[in-house]
Amino acid sequence: MNARNALLTRWLLFGEWRAYPLRALAAVAAIALGVGLGFAIHLINAAALDEFSAAVKSLSGQADLEVRGAQPDFDQRYYPQLAQHQGVALASPVLELDAVVPGRQQPLKILGIDVFRAAAIAPDFIGIPAQGRAFDTLADDAIFLSPAAMSWLQVHQGDLLRLRSGVHIVTLRVAGGLVHARAGQRIAVMDIAAAQWRFHRVGRLSRIDLKLTPGVNRAQFKAALQRELQGRLLVTQTRERTERSADMSRAYRVNLNVLALVALFTGAFLVFSTQALSVMRRRSQFALLRVMGLTRAQLMRQVLLEGAAFGVLGSALGIAGGYAVAAAALHFFGGDLGGGYFAGINPVVHFTPMAAAGLFVLGVVVALLGCAAPAMEAAHTLPAPALKSGNEAGALTQLANPWPALAALVLGALLTQMPPVEGLPVFGYIAVALLLIGTVALMPRLSGNFFRLLGLRHARSAVVTLVLARLGNAPNQAVIALGGVLTSFSLMVAMAIMVASFRVSVDDWLSHLLAADVYVRSAQGGDTGALDTQAQMTIANAPGIARVDFVRQTQLTLAPDRPDVMLIARDIDVRDPGKILPIIGAGIVPQHGLPVWVSEPMADLYGYRLGQQIVLPINGHMQQAVVAGVWRDYGRQFGAIQMRLADYRALTGDMDVNDAGLWLQPGVTPAREIATLQHLPFGALLEFAEPGEIRAVSLKIFDRSFAVTYLLEVVAIIIGLFGVAATFSAQTLARVREFGMLRHIGVTRRQILGILAAEGGLLTAAGIAVGFALGLVISLILVFVVNPQSFHWRMQLHLPWGMLLSVAALLLASAIVTALIAGRYALSGNAIRAVSEDW
Amino acid sequence: MRYLNLLWLCWVSLTLAAPPQFAQVTPGHTIVFPADYGAHPAYRTEWWYATGWLQTPDKKPLGFQITFFRIATGIDDANPSEFAARQLIIAHSALSDPALGKLLPAQKSAREGFGLAYAATGNTDVKLDDWRLVRADSGQYRVTVVTPDYRLNLLLTPSQPPMLQGDRGYSRKGAKPAQASYYYSEPQLHVSGSVARNGKSVAVSGNAWLDHEWSTSVLDPHAVGWDWVGANLDSGAALMAFRIRDVHGMPLWAHATLRDAHGSTTQYGNSEVRFAPQRYWRSPRTGAHYPVAMQVQTGPLVWQLTPLQDDQELDSRQSVGAVYWEGAVSLSRDGKTAGRGYLEMTGYVKPLKL
Amino acid sequence: MLELHHVTKSYAGRRRVLDDLSYTLAAGEYVAVMGDSGVGKSTLLNLIAGLDTPDAGDIVIDGVAMATLNDDAATLLRRVRVGFVFQAFHVLPHLTLLQNVALPLLLNGLDSARAEAMLNAVGLRGRGQDFPRQLSGGELQRVAIARALVHRPALVLADEPTGNLDPETAHSVLMLLRDEIKNNGASAIIVTHSVAAAATADRVLMLTDDGLYPA
Repeated sequence: MNARNALLTRWLLFGEWRAYPLRALAAVAAIALGVGLGFAIHLINAAALDEFSAAVKSLSGQADLEVRGAQPDFDQRYYPQLAQHQGVALASPVLELDAVVPGRQQPLKILGIDVFRAAAIAPDFIGIPAQGRAFDTLADDAIFLSPAAMSWLQVHQGDLLRLRSGVHIVTLRVAGGLVHARAGQRIAVMDIAAAQWRFHRVGRLSRIDLKLTPGVNRAQFKAALQRELQGRLLVTQTRERTERSADMSRAYRVNLNVLALVALFTGAFLVFSTQALSVMRRRSQFALLRVMGLTRAQLMRQVLLEGAAFGVLGSALGIAGGYAVAAAALHFFGGDLGGGYFAGINPVVHFTPMAAAGLFVLGVVVALLGCAAPAMEAAHTLPAPALKSGNEAGALTQLANPWPALAALVLGALLTQMPPVEGLPVFGYIAVALLLIGTVALMPRLSGNFFRLLGLRHARSAVVTLVLARLGNAPNQAVIALGGVLTSFSLMVAMAIMVASFRVSVDDWLSHLLAADVYVRSAQGGDTGALDTQAQMTIANAPGIARVDFVRQTQLTLAPDRPDVMLIARDIDVRDPGKILPIIGAGIVPQHGLPVWVSEPMADLYGYRLGQQIVLPINGHMQQAVVAGVWRDYGRQFGAIQMRLADYRALTGDMDVNDAGLWLQPGVTPAREIATLQHLPFGALLEFAEPGEIRAVSLKIFDRSFAVTYLLEVVAIIIGLFGVAATFSAQTLARVREFGMLRHIGVTRRQILGILAAEGGLLTAAGIAVGFALGLVISLILVFVVNPQSFHWRMQLHLPWGMLLSVAALLLASAIVTALIAGRYALSGNAIRAVSEDW
Repeated sequence: MRYLNLLWLCWVSLTLAAPPQFAQVTPGHTIVFPADYGAHPAYRTEWWYATGWLQTPDKKPLGFQITFFRIATGIDDANPSEFAARQLIIAHSALSDPALGKLLPAQKSAREGFGLAYAATGNTDVKLDDWRLVRADSGQYRVTVVTPDYRLNLLLTPSQPPMLQGDRGYSRKGAKPAQASYYYSEPQLHVSGSVARNGKSVAVSGNAWLDHEWSTSVLDPHAVGWDWVGANLDSGAALMAFRIRDVHGMPLWAHATLRDAHGSTTQYGNSEVRFAPQRYWRSPRTGAHYPVAMQVQTGPLVWQLTPLQDDQELDSRQSVGAVYWEGAVSLSRDGKTAGRGYLEMTGYVKPLKL
Repeated sequence: MLELHHVTKSYAGRRRVLDDLSYTLAAGEYVAVMGDSGVGKSTLLNLIAGLDTPDAGDIVIDGVAMATLNDDAATLLRRVRVGFVFQAFHVLPHLTLLQNVALPLLLNGLDSARAEAMLNAVGLRGRGQDFPRQLSGGELQRVAIARALVHRPALVLADEPTGNLDPETAHSVLMLLRDEIKNNGASAIIVTHSVAAAATADRVLMLTDDGLYPA
């Protein structure tokens, strides 16, 4: 392209933008939003994941391998064995605790280490004592805190720190800092013997870090050691643990990214509608240029270039905005945006050039795709007829072929039957996209036929005729406006149905689960606040109590590269487990063998079936067990196993419990019983909750975790409305002549506004109707395909009519108002000038 | 007598609010073998210290040093954890090869427990992972040291009975009677075994000296360091001499013992022992000036000490914070070769803070 | 049926377009108005149609003074009594020909049966379900003429109805326009540059800066 042509291109481009700055802005904003959201989500996750991995790595130091138990701790007798094992240069024993901090929601992670062993593997976790107090690293009352932990706990060197150990308080001396801890990492270190003693873990270790003798092949050694340990302990590498943490948040992350893609998708529609209308409006202008010698390719390039300009601008703004949003979100909400996957770390956003480049390109490509059809249209229009006015309806005829759209719908329907890919509902998402594309593409035909049919019935009034005829016969233009609304509304409907279904199911589940009158918990977070046997007796014998259901919860690692599952032990009646557990379907009563009840996600993830013999590593033994039932669980995405408390105690010797459900004697109110229990010697440390409170809190957490989803939905709807506004304004302006003529032949101003409102309203109503139907279908995919595949949650379908109807009404009203505002603007011009604006 | 000892002592004394009760060193106590070959966990500090000269098959001299410390921390006995660090085992080793021009140092430390590290009672048996010093009933010591740079496997065979230092093993270190340790030496040990370096093992032979000393509170608060020498004389005699210096370099206390080949012992008191520096060497690492060539006077006898090499400084500031010079020296008297031994010089980098 | 009394119109800051113009159009009379560009021919039509208001003077249609009417009333009057033919046809692209023609009937709440008759009358029999994009310019103007007369307006205003047509087509369209005006008993004013077009009218008037005079 030579300089003159470039100049012409610029004239056309900037002329267009000067004439319709708002529309250009909307298209740019939509692209920016999609790109920005995607980038922000990427940055936040990358930062959180990086920080989490780095924190995990720093905890392991430079260990070649880690040996862990299936449960949080294991017998220390393995330590000398491993220390003297052939090929092991150094074995560093670690007791890892999440200590309960009185008055805090989150626990303090404590590493109990042997400084002499850890010094060579994790030198960053050697406490730095005060001058002349080197022995503090061995002292049984000393604890060393990272800077973040110090500021979190508001203590300094020399202060005393109170931590929970069972139902008692342990007071430790803050002996110094961990200056090399990662910024923001809350962590404490103390002597391993002190940790074992103070927190009742004598004889127990959490892990043994191994450094191998130089020259020993790590993979071979690992495999050999794993064989030797026969599953009683797990040999892992740090990498596996960071991968595992990535896996944990992956489904959540992918879902967020899909929402960002929705924004981008909506952005593509905006670019499409903007460019399509602009091309239509400039038909005669382009025809003139063609007559004057602009080639077809040049014209096409021009339109594509305008679209690409939206893409480049939008992407650039999106990358910058996404970075800012990510930084702000990390600052205010933390790395998981309320998702709860990364606790106790303080991630900082880092610009990632590769991802930025990728999303930039994606934004530009989406913009180009959006204007591809208009560009082809512009290029292939014959100049002579285009020079005549009143010929706009001919535009975009290629959208009329219904077969690709139908094929997309059919393919989408088929893809819902596909299994997940690596734990991700890839095909489910593709199905949703195909259904969206197919429906949007079919929309002109659908609405055209619908309004034409309607038009045949009611041809009595001029206004109605005008409205229906236009909607029936010029659907392409009108429906362009609809694409964005249809997409965002249907996705919102789908999301709303999915969330409502989920919420109702969770609510039902909670009411089944919370059968007791009062719940007692010994500690909010952490694993050092369990109730010992004596405390259990005290509670069970307290006046007013009819029955107590004690519950022991511990983590169980079944595979080093998979997230932990929860092992829950409680009194379960093997003949009627449904009294306590929300059992799905029938259970069995095993004649012999250890009965366990697995959660639904567990059954999904590990392929457990009813009656199946399984092997669980419990207390260092490979324990045979029988799946006696499957129960519904929305609480633990990675699986949970329940067993009888008596069985658990016999297997592990662990007599502690974490919480208890209390059934009260007749006539005793929960409030009175709570007051009674609070007067127990350790009563002040206990937390009490009535089922209603737990339910309310659980649902609040539920709502919070979907807050981002709602926010993104609202944004998508706003983009959709933006599109409607832009399109209606454009069309109204493009129809100035038509309105002028109508005014000449006696149509009143109010009637024209009525036409516009009716058109906008009917069109949006059609969009809403189709969007609702499509949304319902998508929600079925979300509820029955995406959720089971990514989170292993199954739920009952529930339609939140009130919310859907109010959003629909709001959308309809906004569309009508938008159309009216656009119309008023158009009618402010002179009808006389409008008709004489002839070529 | 070790620099580290002092360091640990000052830590312990500062750390513990209520000083734990350790056994005290008193005069008149009788050393009883074989029990006193073993560890004495009731005392705060204890060490076994073997030094010696080796000869490789190509007639090259090598110095070696290996020390096992046992330190009682005074940590609460109530702690039922097997990890409770009541006793610490620390070991240092260094190989002195003039061909290298410096020492090859190594060190390890651990808490006692799990059979991985211990100092056993009853007979000498100290272990720290794959380092070990163990005395057989025959009296023969087996030394094993495995470091990234070298590996020592030595047998030390006594040729003489143990030499009780000071007053039948009660060795004074200061003006106060409590500033003392129990201390015996095993001089004139015949060495055989192997030294492996760079994957190559060579047979070695030579002679060595072993000290075993335990105490609870040793030093005068004004002490900043000391000089010590222990030597196997060619005549079959054994010489041990030390002085403790104050901040001005003046001796606070000194003592020497000379036992001839027939077992006749001469003790030299505080006023009879003098250390006179002859030549200084400046450490390029720490800047410390060490009197690497020294004249030691014990009564009428004057011993000239000449180092195997000048740079025999051990810099372990990265781990335990101690810097000292510990090296092989040869002795001459009246210009004639008299024997070989080890010289230790501490407190030359900076005065100890007490 | 149409009386112009001392009509004066000027545009802000510009010269006077119409100055003290008076004229009376009899019922059933078909006049052509010619004149130089910019002399105010179109302004005159707009004033008559109530799409614009004069600075001074009165326009009276069937005894109703336009000046007394607000926009809605003027629109209603226009809807009932006036038919328009434009140079650029202005046939709505998304309506069928029949719907386009029926539009005035629907606006006036009349039965739309006559639309088909009008289409037949302008020579487009059987093409009622076609869309405007299938038509030539001449055909489009025939549709416009049918639309202008379908609701039997008292007055037809045509602004350069043949401006976009070739001479041959123009002639047939003009003959049709004249015939239909006469058939429906309407009065009509046709504004044109074309002498041939003007010749189809009963009378030809020249609009000059001084007023409206017979040619």
